[in-house]
Amino acid sequence: MLEVTGLHKSFGALTVTDNVSFRMDRGERRVVLGPNGAGKTTLFNLLAGDLAPSAGEIRLDGRPVTGLSVDRRARLGLSRSYQKNNLFDALTVRENLALAAAAALGLSGLFRRDTHRDPAVVDRVAEIAGQVGLADRLDMPVHSAPYGNRRQLEVGIALAARPKVLLMDEPTSGVGPGMIHAFHELLGGLPRDLTILIIEHDMDLAFDVADRITVLNYGKVVFEGTPEETRASPLVHEIYLGEWGAHA
Amino acid sequence: MFHQTGIKTAVILALLAGLAAYAALGGYFARELVIEIATLAILAISLDMVAGFGGMVSLCHGSIFGLGAYGFAVAATLLGLPPGLALVAGIALGALFGGAVGAVTSRARGIFFIMATLAFGQMVYVLIFDARALGGDDGLPGVPRLDLSALGVDLQSSLQFALFAIACLGLVYALAAFVLRSGFGRTLCGIHANEARMRALGIPVWQYKANGFALSGAMAGFAGALAAQHTMFVSPEMMVWTVSGEALVIVILGGMGTLVGPAVGAALLILLRHEIASLTNHWHMVIGIVLIVTVLAGGRGLYGQLEHMVQARRERVKAHA
Amino acid sequence: MLADPSTWIVQGLNGLQLSMLLFLLSVGLTVIFGLLHFVNLAHGALYALGAYAGVSAVWMLGSYWAAFVLAPAAVALAGTVLYLGLIRRMRRSGPMNQVLVTFGLIFVFLDIFRIVWGDIALGIDAPAFLAGPVEVLGVAYPAYRLFIIALGAAVMAGLGLVLSRTQIGAMIRAGVDNDRMAACLGLNVERIFFVVFCVGCALAGLAGVVAAPVFSVTPDMGTQILIPTLIVVVIGGLGSLKGAVAGSLIVGFTQTFGAVLAPQLAAVAVYALLAGILIFRPAGLFPARG
Repeated sequence: MLEVTGLHKSFGALTVTDNVSFRMDRGERRVVLGPNGAGKTTLFNLLAGDLAPSAGEIRLDGRPVTGLSVDRRARLGLSRSYQKNNLFDALTVRENLALAAAAALGLSGLFRRDTHRDPAVVDRVAEIAGQVGLADRLDMPVHSAPYGNRRQLEVGIALAARPKVLLMDEPTSGVGPGMIHAFHELLGGLPRDLTILIIEHDMDLAFDVADRITVLNYGKVVFEGTPEETRASPLVHEIYLGEWGAHA
Repeated sequence: MFHQTGIKTAVILALLAGLAAYAALGGYFARELVIEIATLAILAISLDMVAGFGGMVSLCHGSIFGLGAYGFAVAATLLGLPPGLALVAGIALGALFGGAVGAVTSRARGIFFIMATLAFGQMVYVLIFDARALGGDDGLPGVPRLDLSALGVDLQSSLQFALFAIACLGLVYALAAFVLRSGFGRTLCGIHANEARMRALGIPVWQYKANGFALSGAMAGFAGALAAQHTMFVSPEMMVWTVSGEALVIVILGGMGTLVGPAVGAALLILLRHEIASLTNHWHMVIGIVLIVTVLAGGRGLYGQLEHMVQARRERVKAHA
Repeated sequence: MLADPSTWIVQGLNGLQLSMLLFLLSVGLTVIFGLLHFVNLAHGALYALGAYAGVSAVWMLGSYWAAFVLAPAAVALAGTVLYLGLIRRMRRSGPMNQVLVTFGLIFVFLDIFRIVWGDIALGIDAPAFLAGPVEVLGVAYPAYRLFIIALGAAVMAGLGLVLSRTQIGAMIRAGVDNDRMAACLGLNVERIFFVVFCVGCALAGLAGVVAAPVFSVTPDMGTQILIPTLIVVVIGGLGSLKGAVAGSLIVGFTQTFGAVLAPQLAAVAVYALLAGILIFRPAGLFPARG
């Protein structure tokens, strides 16, 4: 479903993404681990189209997308949630989801009336809200919503497009322990045929969700394997010295 | 997001009725003022559409207004087209230029965008000013008015032209409201709120910006054609950069992002100018001070402040319920 | 005519002269924006003020050189008043409000010029010893215009040196890069901003008094030069000296050679250039911050 070959990005003498390659099958859940500065968010920027690679190729569902614009890739089924909340702050939760759903459903024409009341939009808003746990918070204005709810909405907007591939950049970043459980459930409840690539620092979540794990260091893929293999790898231990003590 | 609320409907209808009454009961001069208010209000509404709702603050709308006027004038006088077709020409020219500006500037942010629109507006002014074939800085006289005799309307009568202009204002407002309430309009507002996210949701942003600007340009061009019919004469003065500035002042004075505010602002500014003109020659200074004071006072504009207070009261009532 | 090298030399010098004038104006505008994040659309009005101050100085003191010194000082003083009265308050206000307020100032200045100096075009004479032509590269060229070129080059070199070799230059560059961080490092950022703003205004005033013998002094001369200056800043990129240099040279030469080679297209040429930059490099050629 998602195929990355030889992806490379350098800014002058600084190489941020070094010959990264991997393949994801449909429905696969993969977590990207790596210390800060390893180039994880840069990888996402390259995949989404916010950054153009210096070399390499990206294929989405068999189709080459390297060089296509951000919005083109989104229309082809790629969606993304951000590490820093990227919402429509002046609107309510419902309006955020309705805007996203309407955009995804193609209801952006001049002769589409009252798109936020369109049954297809209303249905999808209810569905997404249920999936991310915001069903009882729909009329809350985003700017006064608690941080945890905003993270949920962040994922919700990305899901509204019913994507084929979802990139999640640290979904639980800054979220308190009470909410982390909600995110475990959220991830568990996502459609099984949705291919998900997650950047995470929360190890419990990572091992719980992942089918496979890719570890990046200095922009390079240094390890790829199942959670058990990752746990047992001395190389990974070395990179994460200290953080792993509790999990080994 | 745009919602046609009760207060908006009330105020715009009151404004239209007030203008009609003033035109019917006042003398010739009152009608002249009403026509000026109506044409400027249409221009201001078109600007509010892209600036207040689309987040694209343009300083070239005066030039689009002028292009509409010239398009109509040239088509009607130099090309000999019937006024109805000439009107279409004026509107089309406004739409084309607006769409081009919207497309070219779609990647420019904030201050760069404003500066670019100022520059392109000036380009149009210089081109028209230098065009000997279009009369240069002497302009083109003999511009006709539409022939609505089939509807029993004689636009040569100043009262009927004034009422016609008011009707056009109502029509343009309804059209703008239609656009803003559509899927297209909501997408445009979404782009204003968070452009990057809209792109990530699959929206080809530059197309929406270009189309929004084209629609706005069509309306501004229509305002220009109307103004051309009023004075029956066009000159490059109609598209000098200060016209774009005045349009922006009107929008801010009335309330940007309210759609009704600009119309209110137009009425206020024209009446203010009429009063001040009898006192002093220095209108530019007054308009500059008005703008500065409005911005320093919070920038909501007169109608905008009213709407805000009504909304706040409604929210307090809801909270207590 | 086009095959004659002397035409090229004359037009080349004309282009350079226009570029220098544009540079004096745009460098102030762009560094003020890069450092203070303040957009000052009234910059053109300050240029006009410099020209008018120069006119008054010549009327009262009879000397061009007195005007040359006093005009930039007068504009810097006006800049101080503006800064303390309005701009300091608006710094954190967001670009839209800054644009609107300074746009309002343009209107106010327009009428101030009309009230104080009247509507008729005024002018001053170049100083006697620069009045005649000078032989350069085989052509006769007005000495005063050469003076403008030399002045512009001197300011360019001076600013370049200050920014790259001096303490205050380093502080300014730090402030442009990240003003909050610079403040944390103990730099008196407010004072730097104030100094830069006043210097920017003085440069605008200098451009005005220097232009007065060449262009006519009218109330709307400020807006006439504002647009090319804004184009220079957009093309060159905000916040950098390099951008101001590149932008002014590009716009100055395009305008000058365009008028000679293809007069009908000349008016549009610069705008076509602007459109190109906006589409392909929306941040300009050499923006201070990537």
